[in-house]
Amino acid sequence: MVTEFQNTQVLLLATVLLAACLAKLTVRERAAGVPDHVHGVPVPAGLARVTALRRSRGLNVGLGLGEGVLGLALLVTPQLPVRVAVALAFAAATWVVGELRVRRPDAGCGCFGGLSSKRVGRRSVLRAMLFTACAVASLGAPLPGLQVLRDVPAQVALLLTVELALFAALSPEVPALVERGARARGRGRPPVPCERRRSPVTETYRALYDSPAWVEHENVVASAVPLDVWREGCWRFVVFPARMNERDMEVVFAVSTAERDRTVRSAVVQADPADSADSADSAGSDVSATL
Amino acid sequence: MPLPRRRGAGRSRHREAVLGAPPPPRTGLPENAARPLGAVTGTIVDASPHLLVLRTRRAGATTRETETRIPMTGTTTVWHGGRGGLAALRPGREVIVRPGEDGLGADRVWVDVARVTGTILACGRDTVEVDMGPHRGRAHVVIPPYALERVLVRHPRMEPGYLIDVICVRSPGGPQAVRPGTSQPGYRADDLAAPEPGAPVPGTVHGTVTWFGSLGEGAPPHAGAAYPAVDPEGDAGGCPDAPSGCVALPYLSLGSEITVHNECSGRATTVPVVECGCSAARYCDRCVECGTSPRGRIAELTPAAFVGLGGDLEAGCFNAVVRPGAPGALAVPAAVSGRAGRW
Repeated sequence: MVTEFQNTQVLLLATVLLAACLAKLTVRERAAGVPDHVHGVPVPAGLARVTALRRSRGLNVGLGLGEGVLGLALLVTPQLPVRVAVALAFAAATWVVGELRVRRPDAGCGCFGGLSSKRVGRRSVLRAMLFTACAVASLGAPLPGLQVLRDVPAQVALLLTVELALFAALSPEVPALVERGARARGRGRPPVPCERRRSPVTETYRALYDSPAWVEHENVVASAVPLDVWREGCWRFVVFPARMNERDMEVVFAVSTAERDRTVRSAVVQADPADSADSADSAGSDVSATL
Repeated sequence: MPLPRRRGAGRSRHREAVLGAPPPPRTGLPENAARPLGAVTGTIVDASPHLLVLRTRRAGATTRETETRIPMTGTTTVWHGGRGGLAALRPGREVIVRPGEDGLGADRVWVDVARVTGTILACGRDTVEVDMGPHRGRAHVVIPPYALERVLVRHPRMEPGYLIDVICVRSPGGPQAVRPGTSQPGYRADDLAAPEPGAPVPGTVHGTVTWFGSLGEGAPPHAGAAYPAVDPEGDAGGCPDAPSGCVALPYLSLGSEITVHNECSGRATTVPVVECGCSAARYCDRCVECGTSPRGRIAELTPAAFVGLGGDLEAGCFNAVVRPGAPGALAVPAAVSGRAGRW
């Protein structure tokens, strides 16, 4: 029974190491996910350097290849040095994840490449500790992984299934993987509500200039520089000065901030001298560059 | 009229021209909410046990000063870093007065009160350097020995990178902390758990509402709010590096209006957004003034607005419901001369 338990740990660790290798090699981490300073408080230089190093592609590929080699070695050989190396690797990973949880939880642990971008929590630390315990338990396993696989006893299959289920339950990467899968199948994440979706002003101008509302009023717009640009909920408003029938007017455009199917509405209103005086001072210079 | 309110009026006119008048809200605040009290802010000219004479600034096309006389009663309490008594009412000091329910006399008077909220940049033996955000700058707060324990009880992590929120008394040497404003969040300022990107935006938001700023020169005498989700693009007035906050709020701009209901006092009012509330966006705290509010600092009010809604400045917060005045995606123009197109 004890031997079968030890053999199961070999299979589990090989599976985990190969999965980590595959994830690190195939799922890249996002480059600009973690800010270097927030609200005027810089992240300590040492921590920032370590975080940058941890996120570098070269290091991730190297780590992934190392994990792949260890995983394959567990499958093909029962040599003790391999088992010791695996145990040391998991012990080191536990220490690193624990440190990250205390110092940079927002940076993600990167255990499974770009899938591990969520903040480091207790689950990640507990998972690493359990893997270390498994690695210690596997030190005395008599068989290599492939030999165990050739004739899998029922107890090993049951235990491995339970352990893999526990591994999945402790892994914040599983929801990320499901989301990636759904996105690949075209279903993707739920859309961000238009009220709180970040919408760059350049996107607003693109939608505006492509709209029939702009074409209709383009000829009466007196200046390329808008008087005012602001946003309320799902709409960004752009006000341009206009000249109609020898009178000063204003054309107001409301551009939707939704992800797709952006609507553009427009209205012509009488110019209010007080509004114009306020707004002209603060009309954006970046806006003129886009026209 | 102050600039955000004037600009807000212009923007409101433009918005209604293109989208039509907003429909009456279907959800939100209780209809029988009481009106706000008329808080008075000014500089003490003279004070006696029966009368407080203030030089007040009235906001208009041009700010002008007038003299206001407020009767004092036997039940009037004065705060100046604690219970101050009439001796704290010295000429030249800045005060804010909340009238009683009958509106005939002063109920509470706060003298030289200020609040510092932000991220700790550096700590000395009895001083703290605080970054209050890009639009409020930095503050050098002195924490005197008598207040240090009280502050430390609710701010155990006086380290750079953590948040601080203290009620202060103005002094020539800068603000002096007298008590904590709220409990310090346990996370670093940059370590905020934001809502899921797809989280829906409710019509009304429950949470905690606090106040910001100080009395005196440069302080807004009128009612207004710092809103955590001010759009950083165009002329909206938001801070570029503001976090998304821990409550799903719609983006607004300076001059937009929000309706705030104090659940503890039952008073409600509509105030314009006068500042970006990027400091408030970093707080995921609760208020326990009357029950426990949901997490999230959903607005910071000017002292005048906070006091007018029945809040106690030294308490720091009240449980609130806020209805942002944001038109939804389905806003349909009603009899406007506008045209719509889809691309």
